[in-house]
Amino acid sequence: MTTAALARQPPRRRSTLNLVIHQVRYEQLSFWRNPQSAIFTFVFPVLFVTIMGALFGSLGRSTYFGGLSALQYYVPTIAALCVLGSCYGQLAVALAARRQNGILKRVRATPLPAWIYFIGLLAHCVLVSLIDIALIVGVGRLYGVPFPSHWLAIALTLVLGAATFCALGVAVASVISNADAAPAVAQLVLFPLLFLSGTYLPIHSRLLNRVTGWLPVRPFNEALTGPLSQHTGAEWRQLAVLVAWGAAGAVVAVRRFRWSPRPE
Amino acid sequence: MHPEVTGMPAPAAGTGASAQRESLPAISVAGLRKSYGSVQAVCDVTFCVRDGEIVALLGPNGAGKTTTLEILEGFRDRDGGIVAVLGRDPRDKSAARELRERTGLVLQDIAVEPYLTVRETIARQAGYYPGPRDMREVIGLVGLAGLERRKVRSLSGGQKRRLDLALGLIGNPKLLYLDEPTTGFDPAARRSAWDLVRQLRAAGTTILLTTHDMAEAQALADRVVLLSNGTVVAEGPPAGLGGDSAEHARISFMLPAGVPLTDLPVAADLQDGAVVIETTEPTAELHRLTSWASRRDVVLSGLTVDRPSLEDVYLRMTGDGGPSGAPERSPR
Repeated sequence: MTTAALARQPPRRRSTLNLVIHQVRYEQLSFWRNPQSAIFTFVFPVLFVTIMGALFGSLGRSTYFGGLSALQYYVPTIAALCVLGSCYGQLAVALAARRQNGILKRVRATPLPAWIYFIGLLAHCVLVSLIDIALIVGVGRLYGVPFPSHWLAIALTLVLGAATFCALGVAVASVISNADAAPAVAQLVLFPLLFLSGTYLPIHSRLLNRVTGWLPVRPFNEALTGPLSQHTGAEWRQLAVLVAWGAAGAVVAVRRFRWSPRPE
Repeated sequence: MHPEVTGMPAPAAGTGASAQRESLPAISVAGLRKSYGSVQAVCDVTFCVRDGEIVALLGPNGAGKTTTLEILEGFRDRDGGIVAVLGRDPRDKSAARELRERTGLVLQDIAVEPYLTVRETIARQAGYYPGPRDMREVIGLVGLAGLERRKVRSLSGGQKRRLDLALGLIGNPKLLYLDEPTTGFDPAARRSAWDLVRQLRAAGTTILLTTHDMAEAQALADRVVLLSNGTVVAEGPPAGLGGDSAEHARISFMLPAGVPLTDLPVAADLQDGAVVIETTEPTAELHRLTSWASRRDVVLSGLTVDRPSLEDVYLRMTGDGGPSGAPERSPR
């Protein structure tokens, strides 16, 4: 009787902050333990900037690159590409896989609040993005792109961009029902958008630029180009477009996200 | 029909409240309904699980076991009926966190992240609960002692399932759901899983398990809820399941050579070369039979008297193999 009475007294819950730290810690641990994903995540940006540097490093400023040197153009777009890759691409694929094999259902069965689970994922994406950007800026310096001076603007852009593309990644993972299709669907949406938004080559069509200016990738490229290559501060208009997309993604994610592999 | 449910104590006021709560069932389900499109997966299911009991939801695939379980766990919404788990409605979002703190679940398929060690995987899960069990104790309980530092991906299938079980137990749940806990186990692994379930019950954990294996239900459950086509076709302790037919005994022996069936002093059937006598008065029938045999100097080889097994009841009630065989259907 007494033990039953004792058992019924709910033990104290961990504080929310404590739980967030716990979740971020284990999410990191499981990422760094997977050597392949860890290496590829960071080798890719270094390789990409190195290749671009080898190809175009000797070119000076040109009107083709909007008055920037080739590397001044590519450092921010590749940085954006990496943030997109880890926040949108990898997250959508990882979530679809975790749902399919039942890991998400098990997470849902624990008392961990859903939002803390997602904070763990977002924190991971921000961290990976930070490391990527540091690597890219470092390699860019070797090719004569000066270090940026507006770090606060970069940090703000990075966090907003990561949050936006995470929300879009979760939204896409919510809409995809089949984990096998996830990588293809995620890339199918992303690849043309990257091209049209000038990630790989500058786009000189005013119409195209106006359209892609309202889609999520170009504003993010521009928001990073300012503080990374032009020594300007935060690009508020672009950030506003980005946040609007993030909010839309979050709405879809919250309404459509499924934990269980089986449809309702 | 279902005295447990109709006898559910009303919320009592005053001094008797705690005594009343003591007898409140861990799970009560009344008139549960759920359909997927035009397929009625669960139809008017009523049962309860008392505190400290092991109850088995028994039935063939597609009988509605998993759907029922998922509604109790809060993964699925129901179309109708009343459900209370530890006094809360699993549909009630405000109760969700508290319920998850007090329940554990072990699902059918293995799903554990490959790159953490056994210890890390359990420690992560433990961190989600306000009063987790001692990690060493749980690792010992599921038989993973010595493997704490192994990466999950290097574990065998059986070891991964034990890890999964450890994850279901680490939060020190009052109520544990086991979905087909021993499917795919070899006989030895199954025995040890059964022992573990009994240990948990002895420690006061209430357990609801699903199974399509009669032997498992018989070995573990205090009570069995037999489901077929989304409805409860029988309910009770495994020994008494099957109502009237449980009173029947079955006498069987090999038909002696040269003796026609009609010569026997009792009404009998011939099944696979054996004489089978279904009777409600086994003592008298057996006496008639054996005196006849000794008078005629006939040997009744392989003479056995038994009660119908749960398997017989199961096969008859779920219509498996019977004339009105239940069609296989599953929402999966």
